[in-house]
Amino acid sequence: TTVTDVAGVFHLNISNKVRALQFSYIGLEEQLVPVGNKTSFSVTLHASNKNLSEVVVVGYGTQRKTEVTGSITTVKGSALSETPIQSFESGLAGRSAGVQITQASGVANEPPVFRVRGTNSISLSSYPLIVVDGVPSYTGDFNNPAGTELTSASANPLASINPSDIESIDIAKDPAATAIYGSRAANGVVFITTKKGKAGRVKVTYDGWVGQVKAYGLPQMLNADQYIAFKSQAVANNPTLNNVTFNYAKDKNGNNVNTKWFDYIYRTGTSHSHNLSISGGSDATTYYLSGGFTKQEGIIRRNDFSRANILTNIDSRVNKWLTIGGKVSYSDEQNLSAASSGSLPGEAFNTVGLGRIGEVLPSILPAYNNDGSYNINGASIGYANITGTAISYYNPVPILDLSRSNNEVSHLQSNVYAQIKPLSWITLKSIYAVDNLWVDVDNFSTPITGDGYAATGSASSILGKYKEWVWTNTAQFDHTFGDDHNFTLLVGNEQTRRTSEGYGLNRTTLSDPAYTEIQAGFTINNYTGLQLGQNYLLSTFGRLNYNYAHKYYLVGTLRQDEYSAFGKKKGIFGGGSVGWEVAQEDFWKNSGIGHIFNSFKIRGSYGKVGNNGGISDFAPYSLYGSGVYGGLATLSFPLGSVGNPIIQWETSTQTDVGFNVGILHDRITGQFAYYNNNINHLILAVSQAPSTGLPTAPNLNIGSMYNRGIEATINAVPVQKKDFTWTTSFNVTYNENKVTGLAPGLTAVQTGTSGLETVNQTKVGYSEGYLWVVRTAGVDPGTGKRIFVNSANTKVYFNLLGSPQYTTDAAGTVKYVSPTGATSISQAADAVMYKNALPRYVGGWSNNFAYKGFSLDVLLTYQAGFYVYYGTNAGLHDQRFWNNAADVLTDAWSAKSTNNAKYAKPIFGDNVSNGSTLPLDINVFKGDFIKLRNVTLSYTVPPVVMQRIGLTSARVYISGQNLGISTKYPGPDPEVSSNGNSNGGQGVDRNTVANARTFLVGLNVGF
Amino acid sequence: CQRSDLYPVPQTSVADVSAFSTAGRIQSQVLSLYGALKAGGFYGGRYLISGDIKADNFINEQSNNVTGYDVWQELPTNSSTMVLNFWSAAYLTINDCNLFIDGMNASGSTVVGSTLAGNYIAEAKLIRALSYYSLLQYYALPYANGNGVNKGLPLRLHGIKSGGYSLLARSPVDSVYLQIISDLNDAEAGLPISNGSAYNNVTRAHRNTAIALKTRVYLTMQNYNSVITEANKIVSASAPFTSPSGVTFALQSEITKVFAPPYTTSESIFSLPMSATTGDNPGTQNQLGFYFSPSKAAGGTGNGEYSLNASGVIADPNWLATDRRWAFIASSAGGKKWLNKYPAPSPYTDYPIVIRYSEVLLSLAEARVRSTSTVDPQAVALLNAVRHRSDAATTYTVASFASATSLINAILEERNIEFLGEGLRNNDMMRLLLPLPTHGNIPQKNPGDGGYIWPISATELNLNTLCTDN
Repeated sequence: TTVTDVAGVFHLNISNKVRALQFSYIGLEEQLVPVGNKTSFSVTLHASNKNLSEVVVVGYGTQRKTEVTGSITTVKGSALSETPIQSFESGLAGRSAGVQITQASGVANEPPVFRVRGTNSISLSSYPLIVVDGVPSYTGDFNNPAGTELTSASANPLASINPSDIESIDIAKDPAATAIYGSRAANGVVFITTKKGKAGRVKVTYDGWVGQVKAYGLPQMLNADQYIAFKSQAVANNPTLNNVTFNYAKDKNGNNVNTKWFDYIYRTGTSHSHNLSISGGSDATTYYLSGGFTKQEGIIRRNDFSRANILTNIDSRVNKWLTIGGKVSYSDEQNLSAASSGSLPGEAFNTVGLGRIGEVLPSILPAYNNDGSYNINGASIGYANITGTAISYYNPVPILDLSRSNNEVSHLQSNVYAQIKPLSWITLKSIYAVDNLWVDVDNFSTPITGDGYAATGSASSILGKYKEWVWTNTAQFDHTFGDDHNFTLLVGNEQTRRTSEGYGLNRTTLSDPAYTEIQAGFTINNYTGLQLGQNYLLSTFGRLNYNYAHKYYLVGTLRQDEYSAFGKKKGIFGGGSVGWEVAQEDFWKNSGIGHIFNSFKIRGSYGKVGNNGGISDFAPYSLYGSGVYGGLATLSFPLGSVGNPIIQWETSTQTDVGFNVGILHDRITGQFAYYNNNINHLILAVSQAPSTGLPTAPNLNIGSMYNRGIEATINAVPVQKKDFTWTTSFNVTYNENKVTGLAPGLTAVQTGTSGLETVNQTKVGYSEGYLWVVRTAGVDPGTGKRIFVNSANTKVYFNLLGSPQYTTDAAGTVKYVSPTGATSISQAADAVMYKNALPRYVGGWSNNFAYKGFSLDVLLTYQAGFYVYYGTNAGLHDQRFWNNAADVLTDAWSAKSTNNAKYAKPIFGDNVSNGSTLPLDINVFKGDFIKLRNVTLSYTVPPVVMQRIGLTSARVYISGQNLGISTKYPGPDPEVSSNGNSNGGQGVDRNTVANARTFLVGLNVGF
Repeated sequence: CQRSDLYPVPQTSVADVSAFSTAGRIQSQVLSLYGALKAGGFYGGRYLISGDIKADNFINEQSNNVTGYDVWQELPTNSSTMVLNFWSAAYLTINDCNLFIDGMNASGSTVVGSTLAGNYIAEAKLIRALSYYSLLQYYALPYANGNGVNKGLPLRLHGIKSGGYSLLARSPVDSVYLQIISDLNDAEAGLPISNGSAYNNVTRAHRNTAIALKTRVYLTMQNYNSVITEANKIVSASAPFTSPSGVTFALQSEITKVFAPPYTTSESIFSLPMSATTGDNPGTQNQLGFYFSPSKAAGGTGNGEYSLNASGVIADPNWLATDRRWAFIASSAGGKKWLNKYPAPSPYTDYPIVIRYSEVLLSLAEARVRSTSTVDPQAVALLNAVRHRSDAATTYTVASFASATSLINAILEERNIEFLGEGLRNNDMMRLLLPLPTHGNIPQKNPGDGGYIWPISATELNLNTLCTDN
C-alpha cells in the first residue's frame, strides 16, 4: 500500500521477480512499464483513446466506436459465460437497451423470446438476424422446424455456440446499423464474434462451474384430506352427479394415500460446465482452440441438455498483402426429455403435459399400486377410490420412467477467407462459409400407458438435415483526401443458399413389450417427418462512410436482395445516417461545458429494411399435394396450399435520432435514442371463410403496424477508490406497439394457445396479441354464482345446474338472451379487448463492486406495462375431479363465507365459472416484475500468489440466478410464454413449467 | 451466382397449373375427392360418430370436449371442435369437387377423353351432393320443418383457389336439396354401370351408388314416392332382395361379415377404405373404434370414449339375445356395455360405411308404408329380410302389425338396432322432427330447442358476414 505526495511521487517495494508494473486509472489509458533494472520511473497516463480505438462489429467489417452513427450496443462475452444458460441470448436480458429477452419456460434449451425494439411482425419471425463471425446463422427451434413438433425437447441452434467462446456481442438496432443486411434486418442484427488468438505468449485457460437448479413458485395444491372434503362438498352441491364419490386410497402400510405429484415431476437438477482453451500466436499467425462440455439438468425429471463442442480460429498474415484464415466449430447437443412438459408452443393442453398433470391429478390417487406396479387404467391413471367420474389424464410416473422424446443436434459452423490488400487503401476479401445442422430425433412411447398405449408402443426416428453455404465477396476502399476528408467505401456481393431435408420412420405395435428401440420388432411401419426445402438469396450491397475531421459523419447504405421464396423477387433496401461530434468543435472544447462533456455526439438515421424470416420456401405457388386413398395415389388442392404469386418482403421504415455523451473522461457515458419504426406490407395469412374450402389461408402483403420508443443507457463509475470501485449501468426502453392495418374484411387475427384456447387477438388500434377475454363482475354474494358481463355490459349469472343456465337475475329465473339472440355467454360475442400483453418497459441495471480481489456483480432486470393471462389458474380452480389450488378453501364461495369470494360456489362439474371454458378477466394479472437475475461474487487470487504456483491467473466465484422476484403476479413467474416466440401469442401462462432458480460455483484458471 | 435457384420448382407437390396435365394426375385427383370425404373430421370418423353421440344410445365417459362431450350434451357452441371441424372438412371436400369439375370442363376432358371425363365428373358430383346432404343434417333445420324454407347452407358450386370469395349467404334448405338431387341425377347418368372389381365397386361410386344415395336423400325430404321410384331401380320386387341391374347388391347372410375384412361384400354399397399407412386412416381422436370400443384393459381396442346407454336401444326387449347383432356388443367389468362394431386396433383400419344395402331396404319399406298408410306387404317383407337374417327366431308377416303406424315404428326400431354406431340415428330423428331423447343426465331436446341442430361454425360467421347463425 502506498500513497502519493502532492507531486504524485510514490514509493513501492516489489519483489525482484516482478517484470513489469501496470498503471491504470478510469478514463485514462492503461500502461505497462517494464521494470528491468530501473528503480525510478516517470509515468504519465494519457487520456484514454480507448473509445477511439475500440471497435464495434458492423455488417461486413468493423468500425471505430467513435465513428458509429447508428444504435449499436456491445455486450462482452465474459458477461455470459458464467451463467448456466444453454445459449447466449438468454444471458442478454437486461444488458442492452432496446432488447427484450423473456425466458419462455423452464424447459432446457427453449429459445427465449428475443425482440429488438419491439415485435416487428405478425406472421413472419420477429427474431433478430444472428450473424456469427460474419455468417448469418440458423435461428428458431429445430425441434419444430416445419411447424410440427418433433420431440418434447427444445433445440435452439444457437446453443451450439459455447458462451465461453464469445468475445463480444454487438446488437445493431437502427437502419444505419442494420441496412447492410437489407431484407433480413427488420428485427435488428446481432453480431457474434468468437474469440481469436493474440500475438504473444501462449495462453491456456480453464473455465468451469458446477451448480444446482430448482423450481420455484409452484402452487400449493389440496392435500388428500382437503381434496376429499372440498370435492365431496362440490358433489353435494350438484345433485345430478351424486354418484360421484371420493374416498381415500390406502398404501401398503394402511395409511391414506396423499400424493404430492410435483415430487414425481420436479427435481433439483445438477449442472456443470467445463471449457479449456489455448490461444496465442506470432506476429504473423494467431490461433484460438477451445473445447467445451456442459451437462445441464432441467427442473423436470429427465429434461437434460448437454453440449460438447470445439472451436478453432486461425488467422495468418502470409505477407504484406495477403491474409488467410478461417474457423471450424463443431458442436453436438443432446436435448433430452421423457415426455411433453406442456410448455413448448402447442403443448399447453397435452394430456401428459408435465407442467399441468401435477396440478390436475388428485392427491388421493397413488402413483403406484401396493404391489409396486404402476397405478394405471389403460392409457390413463387408475381411479383408485374415485367413482362416478372418468379420469382421462395419465400417470406421469411410468411415462417419466419409460418413454423418451429426445433430439440430438450436430452442428458444423465453419468458414475460410482470404484477404488481399493490393494497395494500402484497398482491401479485397472473400469468405466462404458452411453451416450444416443435423437434427436426429429419437422418440419412444411406452405401450404400458399414456400416448403409446392405444398404439401398443410407438417409436419414431427422424433425421433433419439443414445446410447453408454463404459466399461473400467485398472490396473496401479507405482513403483520406486532404487532411480531413475521410472516406470508406464498401461494395460487395453475397449468395446464401439453404436447403433442408427431413425423413423419418414411425413404428407402432410392439412385438414384445420389452422392446424400446425402433430397430426392434414392430408390426406397423410408416413414414414421418418428411420435409424438403430450398431457398436462395442473391445480394449486392454497398456502404459509403464519410467523415470530416472526425466531427461530421455521413453514412449511406444500399442493398439489393433477390429471394427465391418471394413472387416479387427483387427488393431494394437502404439507409442513411448523419452524426455530429459536437465535442470536437472548438466552441465546445473551449467552453466550460467542454471540460465536463468530453464527448457529445448527435446522430440520426433513416432507412428501409425488410423481413423474410419464416416465409415458406414455395410461397408464390398454389400447390396440389399428394395423399393416399386405400393405398392409391391421390392429388388434391385440400392437401396442398394456396400461393400468392406477388408476395414480397415485409418492410420497416425506421427513423432513429439520438445522442451519445461522455462526461468526465467517460466516467459517465450515456446513449439516448428515439425511434419510430413503421412496418408495412406485413404478410398476413388472411383467413377465408371455411366454406370457401381453401386448404390454407392465402398470404397477402397487407398489414401495417408501428413500434415507437425511447431508449436510454447510462453507464457510470460512481465510486473510484484505490481499493474499491463501483461501476454501474442502467438501461430502459419504452416501446409502444400498435397495429394500424389488417386486411379488408379481416377485423382481427387470433392466436390460439395450442389449438384449444384463444386469448390473444390482434386488432387495429391495439398492440399485437392483445388479451381478449370475457369480463366478470365477481361472485354473487347471495348465491355464489359467477357473474359474467356481456358485450352490452349486462350482468349475467351462471349456474351450471340451472335451467336456464344463464340468467339476468341472481335467482336464476330470467333467461338471458343476448342482443343477437344467444342464450349463453361466449367469447366470440362477449369478450373484450382487455389488456396489453407486450411489455412497454424493459431494461436492466447491472452493478459491479470491486474491492481488492473481490468482485460482486449484481444484475437486476425488469419488464413493466403488460399483463399476463394466467390460464393455469383456470385449471387450478376447475371444479371437475381436478385437484385445486389450496386457496379454494378460503377464496371460494361457501354458505359460511359469502362476501368477496374470488371463486364461484364449488359445484362439481363446473368448468365454466372459473375460466376453463371461457378465458376470463379474473385470470389476467399485471405482469410487471423486477428480478434479481444474477448475483456473482468472485475472488481473483493475486497474481503474485499465482505465479508462485506457476499459474498466471485464477478466479473463483459463486453465482445465483433468479434469486428473487418482485411482482404482484400470482403465478410462479410472469416472465413466461406458453406460445414461445409467437408474435401474437405473448402474455400467456397456460400450464407452463416456470423458470428455474440456480446456484453455482465456478473457477477460471489461466496457465 | 445461380440465378435459376431463385425460381425453385417444388419437388414434393404439383403446381396448380399442371394439375390437369396428365391422365394420371386427373385420376389421382378423382381419388382425392374420396380421400377428402374420408377425412377424420368427416366420413372417416367424426361425422358418423356425431350422428350417434348426438342422440340417445351412448353415454359419454371421458368428459372431453375434443371428443364430443359438448355434442353429447347437445350444447355445442359455435366454436366447438366438432362444429368447426365438420364444417370445414365438408367444405374442403366440396371445393375439391368444384375445382375438379371446373378443371375437367376447362382442360381435363380433352386429356382423358369425354367418356372417362363424364364418369369422373359424375363421381365429383356424387361426392359434392353427399357433402351438402351431410352438412344439412347438422347445420340446418330439417326439411320437414316448413318443407325446406329455412336457412340452409352457403351453396358453392365453383372452385376457389384464392382469397376474396368469403361472402356468401345461406341458400334455403330446399335449394340445397334441389342441388343435391340434381347432382345425384347427373351422377346416375354419368357414372359407369360397374367399376369392375368388388373393391372398386365399394370404394368408388357407380350408377347404383347414386341411386342408393337418392333413396336416403328423398327419405330425408319425406318425398316417399321418389324413395320408392329410386329404390325400385335397385331392389327387386320380392325376396331375396337384390338389385336387378348394374352392380349387384344383396344382404349378407351373416351381418358381422359386413364389418370384417375385406369389407367389400355385396351389402356394402359405399365404404371408405383404410390402411395402416400414415394419412390413409382416420387419425388421432377421429376413429370410430377409438370412440366406441372400450380400452384394452376392458377387452377392447379403443379409448372407451362412449359406452352404450343402458336405457337406449340395447334395452329394447324386442332385440332378442339370440340376435346376431349382439355380436357387436361387448361387456366390461361392472356390466358396462360397449359397441365393438369397429374392432380393428390402432391405427383403426375398419372401413367406415357411407351406405349399405339394408338401409335402402328399410328406407323403401318405410316409404311404402308412409305413402300408402297401410301395412304394406312388401314393406313387411323388406323389414323381415333385415330382421330375420340376424334374428332367426323372428319372422315378420303382415299379421305382425296392427297398423301402418306400428309397422313404421318397427321399421324405425329396426334402423336403430341395425345401424347402431353407423351415424344414422341423429338423422333419422331429425328428418321426422322427433325430439332427441334424454340420455344420461342430458335432458330431452325438442325441435326448436337450442342444441337440437348445431350452431354455425364461428369461423364462418366471423369471416363470412353474409352467413347468419342458427
